[in-house]
Amino acid sequence: MKVDIDSFHELLQTLMRNKTRSFLTGFGVFWGVFMLIGLIGGGDGMKEMLNSNFEGFATNSAIIFGQPTTKPFHGFRKGRIWSLTAGDIERLRQQVPQLDVISPMVSKWGVQAVNGDHKFNCSIKGLLPDYAKVDAPKIYYGRFINEMDIAQQRKVCVLGKKVYKTLFPGGGDPCGQLVRLDSAYYSVIGVDYAGGNMNINGSAEEGVCVPLSLMQRAFNMGDHIDLIAVTGRRGITMSDITSQIREVIARAHDIDPTDEKAVTVFNTEVLFGLLDNLYHGVDLLIWLVGIGTLLAGAIGVSNIMMVTVKERTTEIGIRRAIGATPRTILTQIISESILLTSVAGMSGILFAVLILQMMELGFTEDGIVTAHFQVDFWIAIGAAALLAALGVLAGLAPAARAMSIKPVDAMRED
Amino acid sequence: MQPIMIQLKGIHKTYFGAQPLHVLKGIDLNIAEGELVSIMGASGSGKSTLLNILGILDDYDEGEYHLAGTLIKNLSETRAADYRNRLIGFIFQSFNLIGFKTAVENVELPLFYQGVGRRKRHQMAMEELEKMGLTDWASHYPNEMSGGQRQRVAIARALATRPKIILADEPTGALDSKTGVEVMQLLQKLNREEKITMIIVTHDPGVASKTNRIIRIKDGVIEE
Repeated sequence: MKVDIDSFHELLQTLMRNKTRSFLTGFGVFWGVFMLIGLIGGGDGMKEMLNSNFEGFATNSAIIFGQPTTKPFHGFRKGRIWSLTAGDIERLRQQVPQLDVISPMVSKWGVQAVNGDHKFNCSIKGLLPDYAKVDAPKIYYGRFINEMDIAQQRKVCVLGKKVYKTLFPGGGDPCGQLVRLDSAYYSVIGVDYAGGNMNINGSAEEGVCVPLSLMQRAFNMGDHIDLIAVTGRRGITMSDITSQIREVIARAHDIDPTDEKAVTVFNTEVLFGLLDNLYHGVDLLIWLVGIGTLLAGAIGVSNIMMVTVKERTTEIGIRRAIGATPRTILTQIISESILLTSVAGMSGILFAVLILQMMELGFTEDGIVTAHFQVDFWIAIGAAALLAALGVLAGLAPAARAMSIKPVDAMRED
Repeated sequence: MQPIMIQLKGIHKTYFGAQPLHVLKGIDLNIAEGELVSIMGASGSGKSTLLNILGILDDYDEGEYHLAGTLIKNLSETRAADYRNRLIGFIFQSFNLIGFKTAVENVELPLFYQGVGRRKRHQMAMEELEKMGLTDWASHYPNEMSGGQRQRVAIARALATRPKIILADEPTGALDSKTGVEVMQLLQKLNREEKITMIIVTHDPGVASKTNRIIRIKDGVIEE
């Protein structure tokens, strides 16, 4: 069969002959591809959004904090209130060598941050510079707290994103300006745009970070510490050393070393493991639903083509009588199927990409894309190839039926 | 005597259904080049089966069929399609034009299957339509034409590939008597002027009388 403009014209002619049917059949494939691409992109975006909650957070880390005891020990009754102290940091450093970063934190809630007549109710966290290794800040302006700030007990602070936006509605670099926290003035040294939802002691967006030593002094905290964030050295599994950590701290505070509530060690590794499983489950579901829908669409095409072939028995018979070879008929039916699936499918890809792009735009703030919904170029190419293959498969059965039509059948109508 | 175009020797055909049906019981027939022949017979006599075999639309069980010197037997579908396309033009009772194609596209179709280029086949198709006096109707669809016009488009399609023989199955069956006569005159003219061998299956004695030779079939055998 010669391939020229007319072969293509023929295809269009047959497909356009029954516009509604072609359209509805194509819609099945369109929807299938749309679902597949949309779900893949949407899933990836959701995953990223979920991940952004833990953004900057070290995966192999744990947070240690104290709660009232739940077991009596050394003559103390249960329900005793205790707190971590600065001494625990040294103890951990010496007795649990598997730990890498050991960074304490104190915090205070309900502090009013004031700049002129702009006010914001925030929380303050007293930190050491190495805290950045546990929960990485996203510095937008200036810098994070450093060793010199600690050593010299400088009255400096790093503002969270919301605090900055409220106190400095006009934008611009606030570094060097003074901000009042409750009764004292602090010089702004940086703005942290980290937006993760996995935060220790309140959202980073609504918090202000100050040097730990300064905070302990300013708020009369003594050597009391609210929590200790730790990360394991490379190759260390946090859950393996949890009980060791607990034992070291419990011994120093007269707490039953088996009291998991009193010395709470919150292990992020377990959380991340859980998330990984969740992602795998979601991925599986996406592919199952997407491919399933697409397949249903392709079967729809096959089905309709089957009906079409039956309807066109006479026409195919005539074609055979005037010299169409079985191969010509096969090519024609499969081409029709491929054309229908790929045109519908391409529109599906296009539509899905469009929607994903819009979603991505919706999740872009200050020119920073917070979640990438758009699918990979190669996924789109792969989907297109899949469509062509589906087109061939969908056309096979109808084409086989069309080939079995004998020219004699065309003349058997009367 | 003209050279022989169609030669049938002891053709047998049986349809194997629930009850085997022996339709053709030894047909011997010679048709010379340029002849205008009609085949007549009651329904069930086997004349349609014979036409299908002549048109390579159906196979036969026994005997030999030579068409233009070529033995037509046990051909593959592809070969059969090729022979049909090059050697035979079909004219059907119900025209069998493709409804969603214009007159000229219908005439182009066999040329398309032959692999003739776009421009060339359009030109050839237009020439055929011109001979039928249908130039003005070239871009009309079959349902916009009268029965006579449709049959003339079908004739143009049959002639487009310059076949050796034309097989017509009740060519006037679906037409009123006046148009039927016109179509018959056209076929006679083609036979006379272009020397195309023509075989017409009919049960209309009026049509048969216009042919040079009448072959009567009864119960699967020829009684001339």
